Amino acid sequence: MKPIIKYAGDMAAVIVFGEKIDEKINGMVHSIAKSIERDSPEWLKEVVPTYTSIYVYYDPLLISYDKLRFLLKNYLKKVEPEERGKTVKIPVVYGGKYGPDIEFVAKYNGLSIEDVIELHSKPVYRVYMLGFLPGFAYLGGMDKRLATPRLKVPRIRVPAGSIGIAGDQTGWYAIESPGGWRIIGRTPIKTFNPEKEPPSIVLPGDYVQFVPIDEEEFKKYRGGMLD
Amino acid sequence: MGRYGYQKYGVPTSGYMDEYTAILTNYLAGNYEDTPLLEFAFGNLTLKFLKDTIFAVGANAKLHLNDDEIQPWRAHMAKAGDILNIGNLRSGVYGYISFKGGLKCRKILGSCSTYPRAGFGRYLRAGDIIELIQNPKNSISRTLPSQIIPKYGDRNTIRVILGPQEENFTTDGINAFLNSEYEVTSDSDRMGYRLRGENIEHSGKGADILTDAIPLGSIQVPAHGNPIVMLADRQTTGGYAKIGVVIRADVWKVAQTPVGGKIRFMRVNIKEAREIWVRTWNILKSVKKYLEGKVKGFEIKIGDNEFLTFVEEIP
Repeated sequence: MKPIIKYAGDMAAVIVFGEKIDEKINGMVHSIAKSIERDSPEWLKEVVPTYTSIYVYYDPLLISYDKLRFLLKNYLKKVEPEERGKTVKIPVVYGGKYGPDIEFVAKYNGLSIEDVIELHSKPVYRVYMLGFLPGFAYLGGMDKRLATPRLKVPRIRVPAGSIGIAGDQTGWYAIESPGGWRIIGRTPIKTFNPEKEPPSIVLPGDYVQFVPIDEEEFKKYRGGMLD
Repeated sequence: MGRYGYQKYGVPTSGYMDEYTAILTNYLAGNYEDTPLLEFAFGNLTLKFLKDTIFAVGANAKLHLNDDEIQPWRAHMAKAGDILNIGNLRSGVYGYISFKGGLKCRKILGSCSTYPRAGFGRYLRAGDIIELIQNPKNSISRTLPSQIIPKYGDRNTIRVILGPQEENFTTDGINAFLNSEYEVTSDSDRMGYRLRGENIEHSGKGADILTDAIPLGSIQVPAHGNPIVMLADRQTTGGYAKIGVVIRADVWKVAQTPVGGKIRFMRVNIKEAREIWVRTWNILKSVKKYLEGKVKGFEIKIGDNEFLTFVEEIP
């Protein structure tokens, strides 16, 4: 995959590695993003890696786009292999008031509720990127048999910690927000905590596994912190 | 000036909607460009000073300190017990109040910027007490030259750099975008301004892209064909193709365009955009020096054109 460097306005350059969600490409994205951050040149404001692109936010008073483009090319010459991320276990109460859409997801896919829980908690998911809202992780690797369309009318309030499905994606709402994902459960763990550095429980390149727990265990976590 | 370094965790930058006015207001109060200050929308607010304070208001509105009408765009001294009333904005959408020394705030992820959705501060309510960092003893007199006072129109030409997903649009789509007028709809807030106007046609690649980052001023065009300009509280990433990005020097003009106001987009290239930003920044720096009394300002008339020039004394 030959990467392309282009500008995205006058404050950002972006390196694009195609449009395919792929573990290897995404690993490369995060490895290069980390190299740029490590060097922390004075013109750098911040780096935002996504599935297949790296946004480099810069200060145009300190560097021109042409010069920046030249410097970014050097980062593409030698890409270090991605460091293996950690695996984070996320406890989840499935169904009931914590997962009001689990029955719909089961029915829609011709499964039982137990099947949904098993299929959802079995895989090890890769964190491809964080984005959208604080602490929101884009996970890859959900079983296709769970794929369910979003709600037609989004909920006004989805509690923090809710675990949902949208199409063939799964993930959690790290903070309370409106949302249209089908909610199948909730984690008592605080997945985003601005008092911590880094503020997110998972980082890109990490792996996630959902561990089913019951309501009693959920209550034990009350105020569950990130660590 | 926003929360930087955490977009990779999904944390929006937030910060000033109108960077230009906010910086000028801070300079007037004797502050730095990034000193925490108050932003308000639409106007109509009243504050009571509990301590002697130097402050400045950057807004096109009628101001009263107690019973006396006072002017925006200059520094004032308030005594404890004084009441400042700011009327409705006569133009623009956002205004600023800067207090010398700045607002006292607890930094979250390195910044004082409010982002209520994640509980990073909240909108103010009647009865709130705002703490300030310091109470200056001596008063200062700073006035912004009239040529520098921002003009908030309701018909604005906004310069953009095309891309980064211009290939998701047809030539007709790009032409419509650059050659017609778009109206700001009421469905606009600190996240973004939704505009309405001539349909922007997508190419075969369609309106949806693989989730990608969203720089400040990005113009997303979802399948409905109308543009959304992404502003301070925008989400860090999203899946709509971006036809262009507003240049930094013009983002504040978008933010100050009221509902019903019209926006026309004009294409510039990356080199021009940088030149414009360097020029804008230099003007801000000169204004700062002028307000600090380090340079003098002179008005020069050549024919019908008036110029403001800043002159530094050579020691």
